[in-house]
Amino acid sequence: MDHPLPIPQFLHDGDFLSVLKLHGYEVAPRLAEVAAKFEAELGKGGIATEGTTVLAVKYKDGVLLAGDRRATAGNLVMYERAEKLITIDARSILAIAGVPAVAFEMARVLEHSFKYYQRSQLQEMSTAGKVRTLSKLLKENLPLTLRGVGMVVPIFATYEQADGKDGGGKVYFYDALGAQFEGVDYAASGSGSIAVRSVLHFLNTWGDKPLAKYNESEAVATALRLLDTAADSDTATSGYNPKSNIFPLVRVITKEGIRETPETELGRIYRSEV
Amino acid sequence: MIEEPYRWVEAIANRREYIEDQLRLGSPVVMLNYTEGLLLLTVSRETRKIFEIYDRVAFSALGHPADIERMRLVAIDLAHIEGFNRAVADVSLRRLVHFGMSPALKTAFEQVFSAPYILKMLLAEIGEDPEQDYIVKLDYDGSLARSHTETKEPFDVIAGTSDAEAAMINYLGEHDRNSRRSLEDAMKLAARAWAVGMDTAQTGETEEGEETEKRDLDPEKILKENLKTGHVEAAVLLRNGPSTSRFRLLDEKEVRAAIRDL
Repeated sequence: MDHPLPIPQFLHDGDFLSVLKLHGYEVAPRLAEVAAKFEAELGKGGIATEGTTVLAVKYKDGVLLAGDRRATAGNLVMYERAEKLITIDARSILAIAGVPAVAFEMARVLEHSFKYYQRSQLQEMSTAGKVRTLSKLLKENLPLTLRGVGMVVPIFATYEQADGKDGGGKVYFYDALGAQFEGVDYAASGSGSIAVRSVLHFLNTWGDKPLAKYNESEAVATALRLLDTAADSDTATSGYNPKSNIFPLVRVITKEGIRETPETELGRIYRSEV
Repeated sequence: MIEEPYRWVEAIANRREYIEDQLRLGSPVVMLNYTEGLLLLTVSRETRKIFEIYDRVAFSALGHPADIERMRLVAIDLAHIEGFNRAVADVSLRRLVHFGMSPALKTAFEQVFSAPYILKMLLAEIGEDPEQDYIVKLDYDGSLARSHTETKEPFDVIAGTSDAEAAMINYLGEHDRNSRRSLEDAMKLAARAWAVGMDTAQTGETEEGEETEKRDLDPEKILKENLKTGHVEAAVLLRNGPSTSRFRLLDEKEVRAAIRDL
């Protein structure tokens, strides 16, 4: 990249992507490579999770994320244990709808970028910075998205804790072209997201209490109900599968960090509330 | 250009002498093990001396701040590129120093027309168990010294002079052979060892040529004196962390509480 001023040799801004570039790794071509492989496999039953439902809800202690477990290729169910929630750092999770291969690569770049920044700059990247890094990656993925291949539509959730100041849970969602939007109360992505968003709007506006006042078990129960609702009308989304005993993936981000709700707990809540 | 070989040797000797002189009064760093992992401790003034490089790798140094910063960033870059291109588990301190940092330092030192790096480093990688810890000293000329693998108690030091380092190692060897020490005890011991090293290096200046006999040192007094202008900086590498990153910089409160009564 050409700069108007001569940059001193040791100017270091903590940008991992430019360091990678110096060593022969560029994001856009790499994602294209990944997506091309996926495209090649598609005819042979390559796995996608465009059909899916992931959601994020701001509740009393932070943010709750849930994702269904089904991965489909066209009308075939390929995998029932897909993990669509990717932990990026101690307080950030990426929930993905779209092509897993591309999404995992993005998550990997994101995870390494945040760690690199924190270690080299001796401070954690701000939430705004993290959100923008993801936005940049999605924009790098633009050529693929426009071709209809390798599309990733994520939700980024985090708990803001900088310099001891408690910023609370934050949720960001993106469109396919990388524009970022802050979800004030919740966000959902994937083929089942319309159903989920409608219900969340209803609950938040006319329910007993706003979502932001839900405690953890109420939030978990609601998430399970929402995925069941989505699964009712969307074949690409699975709710709880009693035959195989596979539950959706549920994680919470609070000021203490990230915690996954164990299957035993999900089972208990499912039996009593759903 | 240097035409005659011995003038190159002379230039190198001068360079070495110059660098050793610059390093003499650097603040030492002590590394000890304790029940939950490894502790690094030093006394610093304006600039930090102990840093995280990767999930299980810590870096500490004495010397010129700009050179410390440069080597720190080099180490971070190398580790992260490897971790990304291959895997986090492939990043090892051994390879980082042997194939990355040491050759670069040796080249910089021997190129007499370019500036050398003025620093000494102490790096550590915590393993699954103490036998797998990798602790290494890396000098400005690229020389490596992996420490104390024969004893099952990994500890090491860097200081401005080799006399100071020897004094510190002796002190550590004499005063606590209990590797199951708590973090607080480890900090107290490390702080006292630091004081021994700092004092030896400082008084070594005025006692040139004399035999440094065992002086009656009062580590607590020396430490107190130095804490008027500096503060204790300490970090740990946890053997079993809550997260994959095992490095934790101790905060001021913890440090002050531990060294309050040495």
